[in-house]
Amino acid sequence: MAKHLLEVIDLDVFYGDAPAVREVSFHVDENRVVALVGSNGAGKSTLLKTISGLVRPKKGEILFLGEPFGHLRPEEVTELGLSHVPEGRRLFARLSVRENLELGAFPARGRPRLKESMDRAFTLFPVLRKRIHQPAGSLSGGEQQMLTIARALMAKPVLLMLDEPSLGLAPVVVRLMFEIIETLHREGVSILLVEQNVHQTLRMADFAYVLQTGRITLRGEGADLLENSDFQRAYLGMIG
Amino acid sequence: MTFFPSTSVFLQILVNGILYGSMYGIAAIGLSLIFGSMQIIFIAQGTVMILAAYFTFWLFQLTGLDPIACLLLCVPVFLGLGWILYRGLFLRVAAAGKNPSLLLAFGLMVLLESLMSILWTPNQRAINTTYTALGFDLGPLKISFTRLMAFAVSLAATGMVFLFMRRTLWGKAVRAASEDMEAAALLGISPRRVGSLAFAIGLALAGVAGVAVALTYPFDPYSGFIFSLKALIAVAFGGLGSVVGAFLGGVLLGVIEGMGSYIISGGWADAISYGAFLLVLMFRPEGLFGRPAT
Repeated sequence: MAKHLLEVIDLDVFYGDAPAVREVSFHVDENRVVALVGSNGAGKSTLLKTISGLVRPKKGEILFLGEPFGHLRPEEVTELGLSHVPEGRRLFARLSVRENLELGAFPARGRPRLKESMDRAFTLFPVLRKRIHQPAGSLSGGEQQMLTIARALMAKPVLLMLDEPSLGLAPVVVRLMFEIIETLHREGVSILLVEQNVHQTLRMADFAYVLQTGRITLRGEGADLLENSDFQRAYLGMIG
Repeated sequence: MTFFPSTSVFLQILVNGILYGSMYGIAAIGLSLIFGSMQIIFIAQGTVMILAAYFTFWLFQLTGLDPIACLLLCVPVFLGLGWILYRGLFLRVAAAGKNPSLLLAFGLMVLLESLMSILWTPNQRAINTTYTALGFDLGPLKISFTRLMAFAVSLAATGMVFLFMRRTLWGKAVRAASEDMEAAALLGISPRRVGSLAFAIGLALAGVAGVAVALTYPFDPYSGFIFSLKALIAVAFGGLGSVVGAFLGGVLLGVIEGMGSYIISGGWADAISYGAFLLVLMFRPEGLFGRPAT
């Protein structure tokens, strides 16, 4: 049996006594875009934080490349090739664009290829080259989102987890963001995408899981889910 | 020159203030670095300075080692002390929150003060080198050789920390982590390593400041606390998170104190600095030199 790139088995996460994620199992295979969709508070971000080690699970297992790593700290997870782009950009506002990118290559897996990765970042996001010496805090919202993705790519991740990359961006920038995700996908980066922008996400995703109050309630190929009547009732009516 | 009898008196007070303030400046850089990684005011900073001053004093008394040469020993010793204190004490306590860390820093200050006064008595000490009384004239100004040395040492320490923070990957990591520790961890930057580094450099700067104090002024085991307060004021002047800002804040504080003491009275020096501190906090909480925080 071929191993999954990332496999989450029967995961429970609590904030104090409050359950945030219940009995969640899912996987991401190599070179796939897998989406987690669901409304606010469904547990999507918690799930990503648990995978990247920011939050400890109460129960369950997380396997990356077949190895369990539920006990690792965030910096160790990143070192293994799993990069998490958290919600809300989280740039170092006072550091320059270049410094933000350099720190993206902090892990040993990214450091030797700093120059090459920097060139690639500027090919993907030409606008960043023009801003290279500016403090990250002076960039527009769209540019900041590009920089967070570019920064995460500097570590040469095998799997990129993106939390709401389109949040708070103008429609034209949202479209650009999805194009970039497609480009990364074509280049062979596997992606776990959390989004509220359900339509665009499902059209692009190879596979998707729907999370509702901490549990996975539906799963399927992106395009199929869009056709699924349960899913339409639950989400598209609301969002439509 | 309404307040001063002549320009040369004004210049003399200005120069003395700058030279003295540079010691506040390096203590302040340390305070700001530690605040960046632990989010607490390391209230023992000044007391660690005094510990370094004793270190310098005793090495000079017992072996005749020149205070300036003592720097070469002091910096690695206090770097190491910082590393050990962070790994052994603060890292464990930090997990419990900021208040326990603050209490720990306070406890460390009291412990050091008591230890120093038991071991070395509460009497004031001062180093008397062959060049302590040396001074030279610069036009109408009289410059003390030791104060000028202390200033040069402070300036060099500031420059080195500045270059470290700007040019090296670890320095950039320390700056990044002071902005957003969690985001830094997600990039693979280990919070405990960055924390150890910031704390160790912070204490090494206290070490440098201690040598500068020993070189220029008398001190006793309890002189540290006031330096911690002055360093805090300097940080508020300079704006948190800026190496150069903290140094300039210290220099400015030295000048304000010097001028204030001359115009009003020496007894008012502390009241004047705290007054300036309150004014800055009220009207420019982001610091005097920086842009408003974004």
